[in-house]
Amino acid sequence: MTAFTVENVKKTFTNGEIEEQVLNGVNLALKEGEITALVGASGSGKSTLLTIAAGLQHASAGQVMFQGKNLTNMKQEEIRKVRAQDFGFVFQASHLVPFLTVEEQLLLMLDVSEKRMHKQEKKKRITSMLQLVEMEHRKDAYPSSLSGGEKQRVAIARAIIHEPKLLFADEPTASLDSKRSQDVMELIRELTKTLHITTLMVTHDEEMLPYADRIITMKDGLIV
Amino acid sequence: MKMAWKEIKKSKAKFIILGSIVFLVSLLTFIISGLANGLSMDNAALIKDMPAGQFYMDENAKETYNLSKIDEDTEKHVHKEYPDAAAFSIQMGFVVDGNDDQHSVSFVTSTESDLFENVNDGEIILDRSMQEDGIQVGDKLTNNQYSGEFTVKGFVDQKKYSHTPVAFISMDNYKEMYRTNHMQLLFIPGQDKAETINGLEAFSNTAFLDTIPSYSAEQMSLNMIIWFLVIISGMLFAIFFYMMNVQKIGLYGILKAIGVKTRTLFGMMWSQMLLITAIALVLSVSFSHLFNRVAPDGMPFDLGLETTLQLSGLFIVIGFIGATLSGIQIKRVEPLQAIQQGEM
Ligand SMILES: Nc1ncnc2c1ncn2[C@@H]1O[C@H](COP(=O)(O)OP(=O)(O)OP(=O)(O)O)[C@@H](O)[C@H]1O
Ligand SMILES: [Mg+2]
Repeated sequence: MTAFTVENVKKTFTNGEIEEQVLNGVNLALKEGEITALVGASGSGKSTLLTIAAGLQHASAGQVMFQGKNLTNMKQEEIRKVRAQDFGFVFQASHLVPFLTVEEQLLLMLDVSEKRMHKQEKKKRITSMLQLVEMEHRKDAYPSSLSGGEKQRVAIARAIIHEPKLLFADEPTASLDSKRSQDVMELIRELTKTLHITTLMVTHDEEMLPYADRIITMKDGLIV
Repeated sequence: MKMAWKEIKKSKAKFIILGSIVFLVSLLTFIISGLANGLSMDNAALIKDMPAGQFYMDENAKETYNLSKIDEDTEKHVHKEYPDAAAFSIQMGFVVDGNDDQHSVSFVTSTESDLFENVNDGEIILDRSMQEDGIQVGDKLTNNQYSGEFTVKGFVDQKKYSHTPVAFISMDNYKEMYRTNHMQLLFIPGQDKAETINGLEAFSNTAFLDTIPSYSAEQMSLNMIIWFLVIISGMLFAIFFYMMNVQKIGLYGILKAIGVKTRTLFGMMWSQMLLITAIALVLSVSFSHLFNRVAPDGMPFDLGLETTLQLSGLFIVIGFIGATLSGIQIKRVEPLQAIQQGEM
């Protein structure tokens, strides 16, 4: 079943007089529960496509359809709600909140997604999520005291603690060494499969491709 | 979850610095305001403590009560219409005590009235501060313009004029000393709208205070300092939160990306501002009131709770405006900015 579609999306950036067409009518359909890897040369428009799909920037033309609604003509507040409740994000940098402990990072995400849960339930879910990413022993640590791989594991936990329908990941392993990258990818695959989350992931790293169900290559703003 | 408090706990130093600056600025403001009020009482308690009403002086007196003369017919006429009206005069002078020591005083005399002390010829009632100078009830005081001797009949609290204690004397003694048959001023209590009385100019209580030259100059400069301090504190908040927010642009971006409301981010900043200001103000209000108690006698310092509360309210409003103005950046942050910026 298709969970998410991108239809004929175009994106043009204007830098003064110069217009640059970065996406030239991209079509993409993500299947529920699958991991789709987006690859392509630097500058081919991967990140642009991912951020438009995730409702982080507007398309110049085209549609992004999710649960029967078009993200491209939603109001700011509506898009925010979709991002908070149905989307999860992992980026190259972990982007954790510096003044919150590992546990609090996850609690924040549960609060933001406005999950109706009791305090006890929240605690339980956080504990089991931290067990899954093997970070339970560091639940009271602040990000500044975590290693790169640990931070990224917390970021993944934060991205899926609220059980989103979609996970967007832009080079989630780029800041990690080969071994750690494999671990993180394995984790993403395991979690998204158990929780039935649809994933769109940009990557440069060929070693990561075996973890994907489908590989899509971009060139000059088009899918080839 | 209380993100605002979590951040304060994690970056204590930053917030303590802001808090102590707010504390110092507000303490200074309270102290200067206490001083302004103290000086104003020292300068014109006699007038300030009068009930609301209208003051009248000769319209040819160029707004200087010293040059004013109320003619007797007008005075009688007004008295008939307003039985509680009072005619009075103020003159700077001095008295000499038994040890030949001179004391500056403001001689005040008036027609029969509840608003002033009325004494018999040869008697004098003084402000309490004279007691501290060693003068006692029953002492004899002299003045070279007065043929007789004044007998101290008693003391009254907080009657000061032009930074000197007030000395109430009888009309006849006053007339002899200053060789005049006229009073300088007329006061009609309870009158909130001035009446046109032939040849007289009317002043409200505050307008009359402003005609006292030293009074308005003194109060104006002190009030200017107070306003400057209030504005500086507002700017402090604006600058501080601006710098904090600039540092946190990336964080705000990422929080917005994961779906945190802009309102929540503003709420975070506002509660931090409120908490810091509240703590700083509680401390500075306590310190300034402590100072109120221990202020040296020679220093006219008078700080009311009402004034401190009003100023505190003003600080909070100004801090709020400052923080909000600098917070406009929060609204502008695009979630994407942060993601493209890399690790914070
Ligand atoms: N905000 C922007 N303003 C102007 N041009 C932009 C902007 N964002 C991206 N671009 C341009 O769009 C093109 C595609 O950028 P994008 O980041 O999508 O590439 P990418 O495929 O993710 O590359 P990489 O693999 O290096 O991350 C680039 O040429 C880039 O310069
Ligand atoms: Mg990219």
